[in-house]
Amino acid sequence: MTTRDAAVRIKGVSHQFGEAGETQYVRALADTSLDIARGELLCLIGPSGCGKSTLLNVIGGLMTPSGGAVEVAGKPVRGPMPQDIAFVFQENALFPWNTVLENVRLGMLFQGVPKSEHEARAKQSLEAVGLTEFAHHYPSQLSGGMRQRAALARALSLKTDILLMDEPFGALDEQTRMILGEDLSVLLSQTDKTIVFVTHSLGEAVFLADRVAVFSARPGTIKKIIRVDEPHPRKPEFITSEKFTALRNELYALLHDEIRKTVAESARAPGGS
Amino acid sequence: MNSSLRNYLLRHPGVVRLAVVLLILIVWEIAARFLVDPLFIAPPSRVVASLGAVWNTPGVPAALRLTLFELAVAFSISTVVGLAVGLAVGLRPFARRSVMPIILLLYGLPQITILPIFILLFGIGPLSKIAFGITHGTFAIIIAIVAGVQNLKPILLVSARSMGASRWQILRWVIFPHMIPSFFAGMRLGMTGVLLGVLLAELYVSTAGIGHFTTMFTENFDPTKLFGLVAMLAAMAIALNEIVRRAETRFSRWR
Amino acid sequence: MARRDDRAATLGSRAVQVGFLLGILGLWYLATNRWGVNRLLLPNPVAVWQQLLDVLKSGEYLPDLRITLTELFAAFALSMTFGTIVGFFVSRTRYTIRVFEPLFAGIYSIPIILFLPLFVLFFGLGPASKIALGATISFFPIVLSTIAGFGNVDRTMVTAAKSMGASDYQMFRYVLLPAALPVILSGLRMGFTVALLAIIGSEVLASLGGLGHHIVQLAEGMDMARMFAYVAFVVVIAATLNGVVSLLEARGRRRI
Repeated sequence: MTTRDAAVRIKGVSHQFGEAGETQYVRALADTSLDIARGELLCLIGPSGCGKSTLLNVIGGLMTPSGGAVEVAGKPVRGPMPQDIAFVFQENALFPWNTVLENVRLGMLFQGVPKSEHEARAKQSLEAVGLTEFAHHYPSQLSGGMRQRAALARALSLKTDILLMDEPFGALDEQTRMILGEDLSVLLSQTDKTIVFVTHSLGEAVFLADRVAVFSARPGTIKKIIRVDEPHPRKPEFITSEKFTALRNELYALLHDEIRKTVAESARAPGGS
Repeated sequence: MNSSLRNYLLRHPGVVRLAVVLLILIVWEIAARFLVDPLFIAPPSRVVASLGAVWNTPGVPAALRLTLFELAVAFSISTVVGLAVGLAVGLRPFARRSVMPIILLLYGLPQITILPIFILLFGIGPLSKIAFGITHGTFAIIIAIVAGVQNLKPILLVSARSMGASRWQILRWVIFPHMIPSFFAGMRLGMTGVLLGVLLAELYVSTAGIGHFTTMFTENFDPTKLFGLVAMLAAMAIALNEIVRRAETRFSRWR
Repeated sequence: MARRDDRAATLGSRAVQVGFLLGILGLWYLATNRWGVNRLLLPNPVAVWQQLLDVLKSGEYLPDLRITLTELFAAFALSMTFGTIVGFFVSRTRYTIRVFEPLFAGIYSIPIILFLPLFVLFFGLGPASKIALGATISFFPIVLSTIAGFGNVDRTMVTAAKSMGASDYQMFRYVLLPAALPVILSGLRMGFTVALLAIIGSEVLASLGGLGHHIVQLAEGMDMARMFAYVAFVVVIAATLNGVVSLLEARGRRRI
């Protein structure tokens, strides 16, 4: 991949929490390098505590890595880059005292979008996620799936090139996840955003991603990258295809030992990931 | 700042807290010595130095002992009454719904306004102080106990019943152990209430109690001894609170 | 079916409450009129009522009420200002919270009114000592709830706002403040209630004026009926003030 095509370049990023020798010392991420192409959807998958969320935060400038650096759109990442990168978190990122519409507009206010554009952009992104009728509802009045749609709408309205999603469907039930996954695929076929998506779900990774980066147990590093050659928007039929099953099995084989390793590790040293 | 010193301080906020307290004492010391008329405020160094003199003032140790006695009696009675009433009301939904609003109403009244009545009723001796302490402490305990009973998760009762537990068994093995932390929380609030009630009554009128001496030291413009006496009382209050708080923590470990 | 049972139960509890009230009044009346309880201890309820009407009509309560209310609002203004500001700055890092919160909580756990003699020694018997004590006591619930409010803002919301480019001011105005407001408002309500109690309390204990002081004066003059009338008056004033503050708190919470 040439420098021109790479939307995100991750160069030798590693991260640890605490100081060596302390009880809270954790090597979250070991030397990780990766180029992410413009317009691709890359999934990060791995066992708990393997550093995938840490890597996502580093890419987005929410965390400064202990080692290495990230370049986004040719610029080094030194802090949040709201013009280039938008986040979708797992939950609790919507402001409960604002309506859906107000939440979307607030995001634009923070980014610095001129007030005159707020109305149009908000309308557009709410339509894109199918929440037009719920613009004046409060998050507490919405289901989990709808809340995440709202969070996505807020991110979309910022019109960034890059979207970072940290287990956005992790708190939802399986059926909602399926629907949202299909809708996300349709949405993304219509834009050319670069998306990095952290998930625990094997099926979700294969269904959504162009490439899947499989992480090892802590300290995490990319064990293998699997390519999913299937055009977007992905149809529901893809899930039942042989290609899907083969890919999912491959992921399972790669991950199974890492997951076992992680569980054994946390039994030995309780206190969490 | 030296890096290892910085790390030490970061890991021991208690030390920094102590430093803050010392800083306040130093500011107080300077203000009292150089900035303010010594008739109205005493520097901590002199207060500490004269603690012995306060203790030796005739009647002070007896007054402190008396206060402790009043606190103990008021606390014991409040606990017993508060627990009994709290359980009786808390365990019966109808009783709770009818009686609790009354109790909450009474609890919210500024009881200090009827302190003169207590004095008239019970005299200026220890009895009125004990009575006033009881009224403050009992309500607090009742409210805490009732709250404790209320937050017992119904699912626990359901699962006990599904395993065939009798009413008595549920009381003994589910409700009672559940109530222990609330009981101790209630005692903590009760202690706060009793401290307030007894000390208020003492400060109002006292012939041989600490109120007598605070008045005496105030009228004689003896800030050193006054600060000293108040400090002793504060220490007593802190100690009592701490005892009850530790008991609460020890018995609430499963929370 | 369940709703009818509910309705019956509510009626039942209301009945008990009303019964309690009537019972107390009845006992009171009997005690003074039939059972010969000493008038110097428990005045005739009718006399108390008459005295109350007299107090209200004559406006005798006005100067004392003015003093008490002035002390209250001055004290609360001070504690609200300092409490929220100090609380906000303490809440900025985990570390400062760990250093200062136990300090404030510890001091608040003892009856600070104990320090009244010190305040009287320094400020005298006038309103200044009441204001100082009231402000000091009500400072603590306000600072503690401010720390709790700002300190417990969901980290994800803060991170999300930061990732969208929120400035410090925007973060405070659109994220921190609305998130913390319910807790802070409840702390302000508690601070107000506590200030009121502290002020009336210190007026009873050591003062030259104010409602609390007037009650003591009447007690010392053995004017029991009028004293009871004043107590009732003060209780109603306190309940009203607290009620208004609770309403304001509820309104404030609903706004957001």
